[in-house]
Amino acid sequence: MTTFVDVDVRPTLRAGGEPFGEIMAAVNTLPPGQGLRLLATFKPLPLFSVLGSKGFTHEEREIGGGDWEVLFAPPGSASDAVEAPKPATSATDASKWPAPAREMDNRDLDPPEPMVRILAATEQMQQGEVLSALLCREPMFLLPELAKRGHGWRGGFDDDGTTYRIHIRVGGAVDAAQ
Amino acid sequence: MPGVTLSRWTMSYFALALLCLMGALALMAGGFGYPAADVAAPQTLFLVHLVALGWLSLLLCGALFQFVPVLIARPLHSDRLPLPTLLCLAGGLALLLCGFLHLAGWPGPRAVLPLGGALLVLGFALAIYNLARTLWVAPSLGLPASFVAVGLTCLAATALLGFVFTLFFGGVSSAPWVAALTAEGLPVHAVAGLGGWLTLTAMGVSYRLLAMFMLAPELEGWSTRAALWLGSAALTIITVGGVAAIAVGYGPDWALAAGGLLALAALSLYGRDIARLYSARKRRVIELNSRMAGVALVHLAATAVLAVALIAGGTLGRHVGALVFLTAFGWLTGLGLAKLYKIVAFLTWLECYGPVLGKVETPRVQDLVAEPKAAPWFWLYFGATDFLVLMLLAEAPGLARIGAAAMLLAVAAIARQLLRIRRLADVRQAARLPRGVSRPRLLILTVPQA
Repeated sequence: MTTFVDVDVRPTLRAGGEPFGEIMAAVNTLPPGQGLRLLATFKPLPLFSVLGSKGFTHEEREIGGGDWEVLFAPPGSASDAVEAPKPATSATDASKWPAPAREMDNRDLDPPEPMVRILAATEQMQQGEVLSALLCREPMFLLPELAKRGHGWRGGFDDDGTTYRIHIRVGGAVDAAQ
Repeated sequence: MPGVTLSRWTMSYFALALLCLMGALALMAGGFGYPAADVAAPQTLFLVHLVALGWLSLLLCGALFQFVPVLIARPLHSDRLPLPTLLCLAGGLALLLCGFLHLAGWPGPRAVLPLGGALLVLGFALAIYNLARTLWVAPSLGLPASFVAVGLTCLAATALLGFVFTLFFGGVSSAPWVAALTAEGLPVHAVAGLGGWLTLTAMGVSYRLLAMFMLAPELEGWSTRAALWLGSAALTIITVGGVAAIAVGYGPDWALAAGGLLALAALSLYGRDIARLYSARKRRVIELNSRMAGVALVHLAATAVLAVALIAGGTLGRHVGALVFLTAFGWLTGLGLAKLYKIVAFLTWLECYGPVLGKVETPRVQDLVAEPKAAPWFWLYFGATDFLVLMLLAEAPGLARIGAAAMLLAVAAIARQLLRIRRLADVRQAARLPRGVSRPRLLILTVPQA
C-alpha cells in the first residue's frame, strides 16, 4: 500500500511564488515506495510530464474552490498501469545532473533565434549531456519541442525576475523511461 | 505537455476574418451602407457588424486562442472548443446580417435577427469560457493578460446588449426595458465593443507582442497599472452606469462623458508606455510589422484628438461616422493587419520548421516574408484610410467611396502576401522543403504531438 507525503503549494502560489523547487525538493527526498499528495490552485499539467519522466503516475481531482489534489504514485506501486514507466535511474535525478557541457546566453537574440540555437546545440550534444541557457522570457514554444525530442529540462526565472535560466539534459526524458 | 502548442484553427479564423474585411470594403466602395447611406441605416448596421464581428472579433478571437497561453505561460483550457466557437460565430453573423437586410426591406422571416443574436452570444460565451478557464489557472495574471480579462468582460456586455436589441427588432419582445435599452443603449453597445472588447484587448496583447518582437523590456510599472485601472473604470462607468441610467429614465450621456474622460487619461498613459517601449528597444532596425503597428498607434492618438476636437466643436453628432471609421480602420484594422503579417509568418515557420530545427538547415522566419513587396500596400492602406476619413469630415461621400476602393485594393494585396507566406512562396526554392518538412495546409495548423 502506497503512502503519500503531503505537499501543499497553495500558499506559495497565492503569494505569486514559483513552487517548482519546493515540489522537486520533496520528490527528491521521498523514500522508495512513497508517493506525493500535491495540493495546488490549478491543475499542474507541466508537472505531469516532469514527474512522469521520473516514473510517477498521477491521479488528479478538483477539490472545490478551483483547487486540485494530485496523487503522484511512485514507480512500481499497485496503482501503476502495466505499461507505466520503470523507475528513474539516478542519473535523471535533478539533483545529480552533470555540470553543463555547454552554456549559452540568448538574452539579446530576437525570437525565435534562442529556440533555433538551443535546438541546434542539443542535436550536436551527446546523450546525457546538459546544456545551460539564459533567456529573456520563458521559452513557451520551445518546451513542447524538447518534450517531443525526449530531452529533459528544468527552468525558472532568476531572483531578478528578468533572466530565465533553463537546463536541458539531452535525451533526459528518454533515459528516465528506459 | 508543458509550454504552448499551435492553435489548430487560428488560421481559419484569420482567413474568414480577412474575407469579411474585404467584403465590407467592397460593399462600401460599391455604395452599400455608409457613407453612401445614412449612418443609422440598416445597410450601415450590416457593414458595421461585418467589420466589428466578421473581421475584428474573429481576428482577435483567433489571435487570443494562440497568444493568451503565451501571456500567462499556461496551455489553452480546450483545444477542441475553437472550432464550434468559430461555427457559432460565423453562423450567428450570417443570420444577423440577413436580419439587417430584412430591416432594410428585403424579404425574409423576422426571427433571423434574434436567432443570429442568440448564436453569436453562444459563440462568444464559448470563447469567453475557454479563455477565462485558461486565465483562471494562472497563479498571477500579469498586466497584459489583465487587459485581456477586462476586454472579455466588455465582450460579454457588448454581446448581451446587442442580443437585447435583436429581441426588439426581431419582434420577440417589446417590454418597456427592452425598448428603452434599444432606444438609448446604442452608444453604450458601440463603446463597450470598440473601446472595451477590441481596444483594451488589443492594448493588452500589444504590450507583450511589441516588447517581444522589438526586444524591449516588459512594462509592469505604475503607468501600465494606471492605464489598466483607468480603462477598466471608464468601461465600467459607461456600461454599468450607462445601462443603469437608462433603466431609471436618464439618458446615458453623463456616463459616456465621465467614462470618456477616464478613457482619455488611460489612452494617454498607454501612449506614454508605448513610446517608451519603442525608444527602449534593443533592436534598432525593426521589422515591417512593428513599423506599421507604430503607424496604427499614431492613428489611435489621432482618434483621441479627433474625438476631443469634435466634442469641443459641438459636431460629434454630425461626424460620429468619421470617428468610428478612424477607430475601426486607422487603429484596430491597421494594428490587426500589421500583427497578422508577423503572426502568420511566425506560426507558419514554427509549424513547418519547428520539428526539424537543428537537424537540417532551415529558413529564418524573415525568409518567409517579402517586406519590400508588402510595405507599399501597407502605406496605401493607411493613406487611403486617412483620405477616406478626411472625405467623411468634408461630407464628400462620393470621394470617400474611392478611398474605400483603394483600401480594398491594399487589403487584397496584403492578403495575397499572407497567402504567399502560408505557401512558403517567398522562401528560396532550395531551402523551402528540407527533408522531413511538408507544405502547410492553408487553413489548419498541423499541431505536432509529443
